[in-house]
Amino acid sequence: MAIKQSEAIVLRSYPLREADLLVTLLTRTDGKVRGVARAAKKSKKRFGGALEPLTYVRAYWDDREGHELARLDSCEVLESPLADEVDYPRAVALGYVAEVLDQVLPDREPNDAMFRLALAVLANLRAGAIWMPLTYFDLWIVRLMGLLPELSECIECGEGLNGSRAWFHPLADGLMCQQHKRLASNEMQAESRRLAAEMFRAPIEKFGGTAWRKQQGIDLRKFLAQRIERQLEKKLVTASMLDRLD
Amino acid sequence: MTRLIDELKKLPGIGGKSAQRLAFHILRSSDDDAHSLAQAVRDVKDKLRLCSICNNITDVDPCTYCTSPTRNLRLVCVVEEPTNIAAIEKTRHFNGVYHVLHGSISPLHGVGPEHLRISNLTRRIDKNEVDEVIIATNPTVEGEATATYLSQTIKRAGVKVTRIAMGIPVGSDIEYADEVTMLKAMEGRREL
Repeated sequence: MAIKQSEAIVLRSYPLREADLLVTLLTRTDGKVRGVARAAKKSKKRFGGALEPLTYVRAYWDDREGHELARLDSCEVLESPLADEVDYPRAVALGYVAEVLDQVLPDREPNDAMFRLALAVLANLRAGAIWMPLTYFDLWIVRLMGLLPELSECIECGEGLNGSRAWFHPLADGLMCQQHKRLASNEMQAESRRLAAEMFRAPIEKFGGTAWRKQQGIDLRKFLAQRIERQLEKKLVTASMLDRLD
Repeated sequence: MTRLIDELKKLPGIGGKSAQRLAFHILRSSDDDAHSLAQAVRDVKDKLRLCSICNNITDVDPCTYCTSPTRNLRLVCVVEEPTNIAAIEKTRHFNGVYHVLHGSISPLHGVGPEHLRISNLTRRIDKNEVDEVIIATNPTVEGEATATYLSQTIKRAGVKVTRIAMGIPVGSDIEYADEVTMLKAMEGRREL
């Protein structure tokens, strides 16, 4: 069987047997690929730090006939999250990106837009500056999953929300006007809706000038995380850890 | 026999076949060997506990490292697991004491700083019993996040915090070093 190669992002790795690792990769050419890295725990010669979560690598693997798991041959590091400072908030943010990508993407379905989004977000996810890239990631991933409703009108009555207050609810599929909001809804600020519109028009680098506070776009991120969790029908482990960050 | 096989199957890396083989081996071994094995298993649970000072696994509390008169009690090396201590002891050059976290920050597994055993380290620091803390967590994303979190916490108390160096393994070839290792080696270079 010929060895395949592709740019890839390591999403997760789990211990398997005595010395192997079960690795989930988001590859550019083949989508999400699960494979076994033989002896990766015992010897660091072949893989080094390439199997750390969110490392951008060039991966070489072969797909064995009749086997669901690929055999991971080697990985060359192209960009490592360890090249920059990893503080606790950045580690949680990296974990969140990995968990969302792992959960929402199906196996073996290439998705270049998702891959490019992940790369752009990882390049901007720095210690002390996690909230802007996370907002950009949430917004685009929800859109690419086809789960983003129109943010400028009420889902119940279709009335335009521009310039007026808007609410969201975990069980609603979009924003609601004052009249149709549900009990225990959260408000989404007009500023956050403007921000979302801007983020669809410009690349992530445009928003990187200043470090965001957690409060900036918090309502938008909450709405988007609810959309993802509703689709997955489960809570994301790392989402609650992000909520608890100062 | 079935009960023994079922119990052995609970051990990591032991499947049904291996459990059966081990059970038959125990059956065929002498009474002394079988009792000795059973006693060793029982002693591990009855006699071993965590050191109240450093969290190392010990049969006497505080552990021998924390009570040693030849060790520098004001120099503390923080490690993720008790097994990491053996690797540092092999150097025969470190004469400080240890602090075991029993894990590292791992967001993907829902493990945050509140799940690590940090409180008795901060207690030692608050009592002014420590001059320097060496952070020897693994050079992984999780180990780095743990190290950064600890250094931020400890530095607030005015204690010196150092991190073990990362780079090229002794006896290896620079030609085969990966990019991150080489970057860390260059960052951690020292003047000769």
